[in-house]
Amino acid sequence: MGDGNNTSGRGISANNTSSSGNSEKPEWLQQYNLLGKIGEGTYGLVFLARIKSPTNRGKCIAIKKFKQSKDGDGVSPTAIREIMLLREISHENVVKLVNVHINHADMSLYLAFDYAEYDLYEIIRHHRDKVNHAINQYTVKSLLWQLLNGLNYLHSNWIIHRDLKPSNILVMGEGDEQGVVKIADFGLARIYQAPLKPLSENGVVVTIWYRAPELLLGAKHYTSAVDMWAVGCIFAELLTLKPLFQGAEAKSTPNPFQLDQLDKIFKILGHPTLEKWPTLANLPHWQSDMQHIQAHKYDNAGLHSVVHLSPKSPAFDLLSKMLEYDPRKRITAAQALEHEYFRIEPMPGRNALVPSQPGEKIVNYPTRPVDQNTDFEGTTSIQPSQPVSGNAVAGNMGGAHAGRNGSVNRPMPPPPMQRMPQGMMAYNFPAQAGVGGGMNPGGISMQRNMAAAQAHQQQQLRRKDPGGMTGYPPQQKSRRL
Amino acid sequence: MGLVEKYKAANQRAIQTLEKYGTTQMEVDGDGSLSYPEPIVRDTADKHSRPKPLNIEEEQSMRVFYENKLREVCSAFYFPNKIQATALIYFKRFYLQWSVMEHHPKNIMLTCVYAACKIEENHVSAEELGKGISQDHQVILNYEMVVYQSLEFDLIVYAPYRSVVGFINDMEEFSGVNDGENQMFKDMQETARVEVDKIMLTDAPHLFPPGQLALAALRSANRMHGVLDFEQYLRSIVMRQNAEHNISQLTESLNAIDACVTKYKFPTEKDMKHINRKLKSCWGHSSHDDKKREKKRHKSHKSSNEVPNEPSVA
Repeated sequence: MGDGNNTSGRGISANNTSSSGNSEKPEWLQQYNLLGKIGEGTYGLVFLARIKSPTNRGKCIAIKKFKQSKDGDGVSPTAIREIMLLREISHENVVKLVNVHINHADMSLYLAFDYAEYDLYEIIRHHRDKVNHAINQYTVKSLLWQLLNGLNYLHSNWIIHRDLKPSNILVMGEGDEQGVVKIADFGLARIYQAPLKPLSENGVVVTIWYRAPELLLGAKHYTSAVDMWAVGCIFAELLTLKPLFQGAEAKSTPNPFQLDQLDKIFKILGHPTLEKWPTLANLPHWQSDMQHIQAHKYDNAGLHSVVHLSPKSPAFDLLSKMLEYDPRKRITAAQALEHEYFRIEPMPGRNALVPSQPGEKIVNYPTRPVDQNTDFEGTTSIQPSQPVSGNAVAGNMGGAHAGRNGSVNRPMPPPPMQRMPQGMMAYNFPAQAGVGGGMNPGGISMQRNMAAAQAHQQQQLRRKDPGGMTGYPPQQKSRRL
Repeated sequence: MGLVEKYKAANQRAIQTLEKYGTTQMEVDGDGSLSYPEPIVRDTADKHSRPKPLNIEEEQSMRVFYENKLREVCSAFYFPNKIQATALIYFKRFYLQWSVMEHHPKNIMLTCVYAACKIEENHVSAEELGKGISQDHQVILNYEMVVYQSLEFDLIVYAPYRSVVGFINDMEEFSGVNDGENQMFKDMQETARVEVDKIMLTDAPHLFPPGQLALAALRSANRMHGVLDFEQYLRSIVMRQNAEHNISQLTESLNAIDACVTKYKFPTEKDMKHINRKLKSCWGHSSHDDKKREKKRHKSHKSSNEVPNEPSVA
């Protein structure tokens, strides 16, 4: 994507006007219509925007704005970590980075992604609160298979995600990638091949409900198995529409020890034993917090009744292998993809949302809510957020909607006749170089550096080819604008 | 575009800038954005004192000199060689995009070390780094984003050091030595590590993947130690690698890597003095011009349209 005619687009533009006022619209932002905020986290904010340029008109983009790093020590390591990983990876089930914008004035980075309309958090919530029935088997299986497929790709390239949870698993809306799963948010991801320091030095990872027991027990070194635990939790949640281990987070301590979370796990899976998990004795909290951990004795595992699966079903077998206590015995993504569960009917498909069999009921999922009242600087006005479209809000579209129409573009007022900061610059990335050779330390396959040297030619080619990737947004949305 | 063409393109652009503006160095502002020099008016009588640009050989010497400095800095901080190798690759790739006349290699060298620490998850603050070598750390922070941009955010680097260890293990197995305690292999590994150090200073890391660089280092080390029949070992890996390369292609690559090492030349002190003098004049640091330029120079975005913004396309 990007503007092929803009010759200075990728240049390093000279600029010394700092964007002091919120009303100033950075130059790169002018290629988008900003629709509103769709996400917020410790890293910063995510905005939904629509491309104005004719080549990709109407295509939606998610723009992730990173907060400045607090310590004042240069560019945010979180942002850099995410960009460098996304630059290396290219897979159907991993979110695609299409642009990086730099605001020199405050050294902040903006990442532009292909927009995915749904995420597992919203899909699960919709079923739980609105539809009141389980997600159909085909959809559950297809979502899980694609999630594992993306994860297998990451793990085979030595990347651990470390923050898998339903809200980070996106699903594409209408278009030629409809119903395709995209793993997102690589802010905590890292390469775990031959780290210079223990991974635990990066601090606490993974949202507590999806956090693997070895992390909860204070393991200094851990592996890609932490992601598989999270996948197990997500699988169960897709089946039951409720988080499997819903512990209360002890926020006061920097200590990773979370007694309530462990208790929730033990209650369902039974206490781990040294017999089943020999290295358990080496984990810091297993030793030091013995009394707390062992306060309640749970030994009969009730997982099958919680997830309403027969203990003999392939689905249950796969789930219990993902929730294996010993990380070394836990099933890997590659093994899981080969599991019997995926070989029996219904077979998983590419469009997870629309089953191929006729007669199956299609659920219209609400798209992710868009907060139109937060401007690009992150300043929020007091109005509550509203989903941008979808059946869920059809009923109250009338009054509230009409009144709000004018505020859709509020974050981007008509350009005032003042100097635009031009310190922003964009990067349209060339076709992603494969990870093959570089990721294969002993191997002698790909000439990675030559690939980098050819990047520009590739990019030229790619600019001419808009590609067949345009995800057309739903009609409803277009009408609104 | 081959390496030589890239070096030439950066050199040519800097020379053109010099002709147009009388100086080549770009300035980085506090916010990390770049500005080009403002054109200066020269009278014809001034012609003989015009600064002389570096040629591509002189640029090469400059890079070689600072790559060695980079290593010294990393050693002074006892950084693991993974960081040193990453920093070195950043430095080399940066100067595929820019001429040394445009950005002072000392600043870039320090910024590359800082960035490598950040990327390899071994964070060292800019202040700490600056303090350790008595340099202004603000320069590092100013250049950080420029370096990432110039590298196009391709920041993950695989150095050959780990490949050497992997191949040694494999060779032990190949030779039927499985105790991992064999002194001959240990000596060869150590020699190969030193060979990798040499290779990393050449252009070879731009041209060959880490596995091949490691094999070239091991082949040289084996010549010294005579541990195994290397030719036979290469044949065994080619067979295993699903015929992606045949033996002659692989040997050709290893020979080309060896040639890079043989060609490598460290500039003499005299050369460096000469180059530094030229470079200073390119940056407008000659005493004659100092005051004049200070006034003329100001940040401009107009000029950024005239000078190619994107070095690699030029």
